[in-house]
Amino acid sequence: MSNRRFSNWAFYVPYGLWIGLFVIAPVALIIYQSFLNLDHHFSLENYATFFKSSTYLMMTVNSVWWAFLITIFTLLISYPTAYFIHQLKHAQLWLLLVIMPTWINILLKAYAFIGIFSQSGIINQFLGLFGIGPEQFLFTNASFLFVATYIQIPFMILPIYNALDDLNPSFINASRDLGATNWQTFSKVTWPLTLPGVKAGIQSVFIPSLSLFMLTRLIGGNKVITLGTAIEEHFLTTMNWGMGSTIGVILIIAMVIIMILTGDRKSSEGRLTR
Amino acid sequence: MSKFRFRWSNVYLLIVFLILYAPIAFLIFYSFNSGTTMDHFDGFTLQHYGELLADSRLIAIVLNTLLIALLSALLATTIGTMGALWIDRLSRPFFKNTVLSLNNILIVSPDVIIGASFLIFFTMLHVPLGFSSVLLSHIAFSIPIVVLMVLPRLREMNRSMLDAAADLGANRRQIFSSVILPFITPGIFSGFFMALTYSLDDFAVTFFVTGNGFSTLSVEIYSRARQGISLEINALSALMFIVTLIMIVGYYFVQQSASRRRRREAR
Amino acid sequence: MVEPIVSLKNVHKRYGDAEVLKGITIDLEQGKFYTLLGPSGCGKTTILRIIAGFSDATEGDVYFNGDRINDLPANKRKVNTVFQDYALFPHMNVHDNVAYGLNLQKTAKNEIDDRVQQALTSVRLADYGNREISELSGGQKQRVAIARAIVMQPKMLLLDEPLSALDAKLRRDMQYELRDLQERLGITFLFVTHDQEEALAMSDEIFVMNVGQVLQSGSPVDIYDEPINHFVADFIGESNILTGKMIRDYEVEFVGKRFECADGGMAPNEPVEVVLRPEDLDITTVDDGKLTVTIDSQLFRGDYYEIIAYDGDHNEWLIHSTNPATDGETVGLTFEPYDIHVMRLHESEAEFDARIETYTEETPEDEGAASHE
Repeated sequence: MSNRRFSNWAFYVPYGLWIGLFVIAPVALIIYQSFLNLDHHFSLENYATFFKSSTYLMMTVNSVWWAFLITIFTLLISYPTAYFIHQLKHAQLWLLLVIMPTWINILLKAYAFIGIFSQSGIINQFLGLFGIGPEQFLFTNASFLFVATYIQIPFMILPIYNALDDLNPSFINASRDLGATNWQTFSKVTWPLTLPGVKAGIQSVFIPSLSLFMLTRLIGGNKVITLGTAIEEHFLTTMNWGMGSTIGVILIIAMVIIMILTGDRKSSEGRLTR
Repeated sequence: MSKFRFRWSNVYLLIVFLILYAPIAFLIFYSFNSGTTMDHFDGFTLQHYGELLADSRLIAIVLNTLLIALLSALLATTIGTMGALWIDRLSRPFFKNTVLSLNNILIVSPDVIIGASFLIFFTMLHVPLGFSSVLLSHIAFSIPIVVLMVLPRLREMNRSMLDAAADLGANRRQIFSSVILPFITPGIFSGFFMALTYSLDDFAVTFFVTGNGFSTLSVEIYSRARQGISLEINALSALMFIVTLIMIVGYYFVQQSASRRRRREAR
Repeated sequence: MVEPIVSLKNVHKRYGDAEVLKGITIDLEQGKFYTLLGPSGCGKTTILRIIAGFSDATEGDVYFNGDRINDLPANKRKVNTVFQDYALFPHMNVHDNVAYGLNLQKTAKNEIDDRVQQALTSVRLADYGNREISELSGGQKQRVAIARAIVMQPKMLLLDEPLSALDAKLRRDMQYELRDLQERLGITFLFVTHDQEEALAMSDEIFVMNVGQVLQSGSPVDIYDEPINHFVADFIGESNILTGKMIRDYEVEFVGKRFECADGGMAPNEPVEVVLRPEDLDITTVDDGKLTVTIDSQLFRGDYYEIIAYDGDHNEWLIHSTNPATDGETVGLTFEPYDIHVMRLHESEAEFDARIETYTEETPEDEGAASHE
């Protein structure tokens, strides 16, 4: 009996410490910090500032809007991709090829786009052949949207592919057998049954998109300010941790709302490679 | 008709894959450029690789990054595996679900929140920002993923196998070392690989908790990229791509043998 | 009486409010083949797990060779188990699976090899030592599981529905093999199954269980011929069960008629249930028949015809016959007095045994019911 108690201790002490110190404490601290003003006094000042300032509110709305756009574009590109890959012979191998770019450091990909989009970059050279340009691509909203979508695509494809893979092919055959056209089969059987995968994908794309900050600098040229950029700014540049934490809490609340809206996700596979 | 449709889907896939790989190919291509920009290819050279190998600061950063990745993955795998074993034993569903939810918080949280909250945490505890804070952060955000890789393997484990071991005379420790551990090893390996990639890939959390003086590759690339284009980074990314490729192949084989075993067990 | 090697005394098992075992008392003797038979959820596997040490009895005592072993952990008990899903270790080959228990005992290497080989030979897998578990068929896995258990030389082997995952033909083969193995090794087998044919074919003694109680125990023939109540009669074999009235000893009334029978020891006019096995019913002419029925439908079952007929009161009669009948034809049914088995309502096994004692001289030793057809 004592043996059992001993081994249980060994199992949960390090893990329990981790939960206490690195999960509960940081969340508690960020909430606590959000109630501290610049003089380290306990107040609701930060929240008052946030909700009174049109800049902060516009920034929140903007952030949600951009995340929404990124998610929609990612979904539009990813669903057909996942669907077509699933029909291929060596689907697993192709899926691996989708995942592979996510293993390349995100900074390197962003850096590549700096070269591609620059004034004398490859896109402008290409357009130059038709006598167009050179246009300003880097540091525009469009380039930000493009790169963000590019980065998120694999994370959307993966859960959708898994949902397609879980789908029993007999359902498709049954639908055809009962006289449905390809489109009817898709809209009445395939789509509703793969919706959990789509939801998981939306969760794993939307939430990180709300908090992008590195891309907004390198690609967006600070034209797009997301909640993530604002938090980074407050913590590392202006050193106003209280305000930064307040925005963080707002971000957490937004995140929880998204999670509730898109329902329980069964697995977190969509984000496994982050 | 069906053949026509089929071809269009392939064209679509081709475009998607071209876009997915274009930036990577672009980077590697210009790493051999004898010029200094990513605009014009002036001629083939290995000069940037030479510069890279001579850049002792960058090499030190690469070694730091690898050290952090290996150490954090190792420790996260150990703690995460123990955590998974513990969670698996919990019998009360409410408690178990609570622990699982807490486990998943760091997986669903945005990097910025993790980075900011860890920064507050380390500052309050007076943990110096640098190697130790980065290492602790990487261990912390890798643990939940290890748990999630090991738990399904534990769930798949046939409970009567444990009864069988006890029936044949094994005590607790013997059951653990001769039955449970070998069975969950593929999950532990997957967890280790995931932890390794999480660590190598992370930018945002490290950026918050790194302080001055200590840098990982992601942070270094960020600061260099803000200054403009340096083909040394292209050379670096080409090398990293190769390393990544090797790791993927390794991971793929681990996964394959694991799933092959699973399939065979299912028979 | 022989000292039993395993005894359960008034064992109860409760999970919260649910009582899975409601006072089980059984004695298991050396060298016999016992079967726990009952529908799923009747508690038979729980008994097995309590004997093996995987679960604890909430109340009551478990004895092994006269010693109380309630608190002895599973790894210290001299019984071994063959699991329903085999529970072979997938990361070890056949030899290592079988050698597992011996390795834990730190048995000498060459002795391990000898005993493993012997065990594998006795389950006819002598050349399979180096195979991986994943390369084996279901039947082979089954044998490895048995070898892994018997190599430990247990006093008692517990088998938890070990044949349920096999196909019909393999099942029959394994029934012969298990019986044969048990006789060769001379160790006690406690076999759990929900398949009554399997139980009848293999056992020395059967315990018929339902909802946490042993309803009846005895040899397969006893249980088939003398089911104690409606449940046992219905569960073991096929039967026509009718309500009736015991007029006096050796005379019973059902479907409105009086028949001579072989049972007695009940109160006059006591309401009873009557069992007639379908293979004891013979089709004859209406004039020769004790009952008149109309053939409704029939199915060819290979070795017999299964015929369904109805009498004038719309009672359904199930008849097994070697000859086909004609649908819609009205025929007579006949049977012998000892084919009728009368069951009292709510009679316990002890009361049943006591009553049988009072009129044994009248009961022939081998009643006709035992001979199928």
